[in-house]
Amino acid sequence: MFPGVSFVIEMHDVWKVYPNGVEALRGVDVRIDQGEFVYIVGPSGAGKSSFIKLMYREEKPTHGIVLINGVNVKRVRDWKIPHVRRKIGVVFQDFKLLPNMTAYENVAFAMEAVETPKRKIKPRVQEVLELVGLSDRMHALPSQLSGGEQQRVAIARAIVNNPSFIIADEPTGNLDPENSWDIMYLLEEINKFGTTIVMATHNKEIVNTMRQRVIAIEQGVIVRDELGGEYGYED
Amino acid sequence: MGMKIETMMRHFREAYRGVRRNSWMSFAAVSAVAVTLFIFGLFLITAFNVRYMAGELEKQVAIRAALSPSMTGAQERQLTEQIQQLPGVKNATLIPKNVGLRQMRDEWGPGGEQLFKDLDGEGQNPLPDIITVEPTDPKNVESLKKQIENFGSDKIERVEAGEGVTDKLLNFSSMLRNIVLIFGLGLAVLAAFLISNTIKLTIIARQREIEIQRLVGASNWFIRWPFFIEGAFIGLVGAIFPVVIVLTIYQVFYNVLGAGEAAAILKLMPVVSLGIYVTISIFALGVAIGTIGSIISVRRFLKV
Repeated sequence: MFPGVSFVIEMHDVWKVYPNGVEALRGVDVRIDQGEFVYIVGPSGAGKSSFIKLMYREEKPTHGIVLINGVNVKRVRDWKIPHVRRKIGVVFQDFKLLPNMTAYENVAFAMEAVETPKRKIKPRVQEVLELVGLSDRMHALPSQLSGGEQQRVAIARAIVNNPSFIIADEPTGNLDPENSWDIMYLLEEINKFGTTIVMATHNKEIVNTMRQRVIAIEQGVIVRDELGGEYGYED
Repeated sequence: MGMKIETMMRHFREAYRGVRRNSWMSFAAVSAVAVTLFIFGLFLITAFNVRYMAGELEKQVAIRAALSPSMTGAQERQLTEQIQQLPGVKNATLIPKNVGLRQMRDEWGPGGEQLFKDLDGEGQNPLPDIITVEPTDPKNVESLKKQIENFGSDKIERVEAGEGVTDKLLNFSSMLRNIVLIFGLGLAVLAAFLISNTIKLTIIARQREIEIQRLVGASNWFIRWPFFIEGAFIGLVGAIFPVVIVLTIYQVFYNVLGAGEAAAILKLMPVVSLGIYVTISIFALGVAIGTIGSIISVRRFLKV
């Protein structure tokens, strides 16, 4: 969404050890540049979720450094974290929509949360809902929308505040193949505007067809990081 | 923290939704606050009045030195002058016995005329001439009394001071204050706990909203504000009833006591000035309890 504005995430020797002793990540080094499309693959419990949570500062590294645009997230004061998060949009497998709000309200909610003036909210929400192809469904409640439509609302919400970076945690995990592809085309479209996309997935077909950068994590370690890579696992 | 009016309105709406959503729990919290503040209010009017009465009494505290009958008028005036010069003396006044008798008769009221008639003649007055000494600070009464006694028993027969009453009143008032503090604190903790519980319910009900607000980068204060407002609002609403009831009770009490004989002895604080103190105190405490209650919950259950 900001062509030319670079937004880089770097990790240097990052470890994540949970209080119960589980070593989710063990010495991860990675750099993701502005405009990239990256798949994170690996078996369940390999550390993909921890990897992703470190990127939007839901978790702090136990050891090592996570740099978001050169800023060490561990050192960022608590009150500044929201400003870091405004540069990042997050999409989940279960959509996380507010059930008592319409599609329009769900998207507008994200703009209200960052204190956008009211007059700017309506045109922008309509714009992104059009982008995700839901102009005609904007007054429907989530329960009246299909899974694919719900995920598109969630994507609209993730991009409405113009983030430089989208993190998607298994965004197609709950969708049938057709809807999954719709979502992928949409993410690809968003990526073309210059927004970085990092997507954790178990969908072999998608990864193998799209041929983007693939980072494979196993037992907390990056075992593969290749451009135009393949899924590399049997389901 | 420059907050836009639009955002502020939103926080108020959100807080109101919170109260509505947990209406029963909010009602319970409001009631607990109301009971706490009612008891607090009763203590408050008692404590204020005891202080007030003590203050009034302090003003009346004076040392009375009864002079020896052998002293001449000139000697008496000279002694008054000397006492006036002592440090800590605000005022020393010579009251000859005929003036003293008249004062006594006046204080006695209507029946006094007959009673004192026979004492008024020459050589009949049993009272001594006295010097009343008003100290600058009631605490000095004891030391002043000693100094006056030191002028010698040839000049001064005896010295009296009404120090006991004020001391007792002041002791009583500080004891009362401690009871209020301890008892009130216990009640306040209980009320704050109840408020924190309703806030907790709101936080749980809004968990997903909060999660999304955090994800999209809402500031911590943006997320917290509605909860503080909700707590303060519960405290504020809980303060309305106690203020009304406590002040009504006091007005009735004041009217009853003020009308009768008791008014002369029990000087109650005027309703208006007490009312201002009590209203401000109760509302302030209500809002404080509410805000503390929400802080407890926000700190424990709201991860930002």
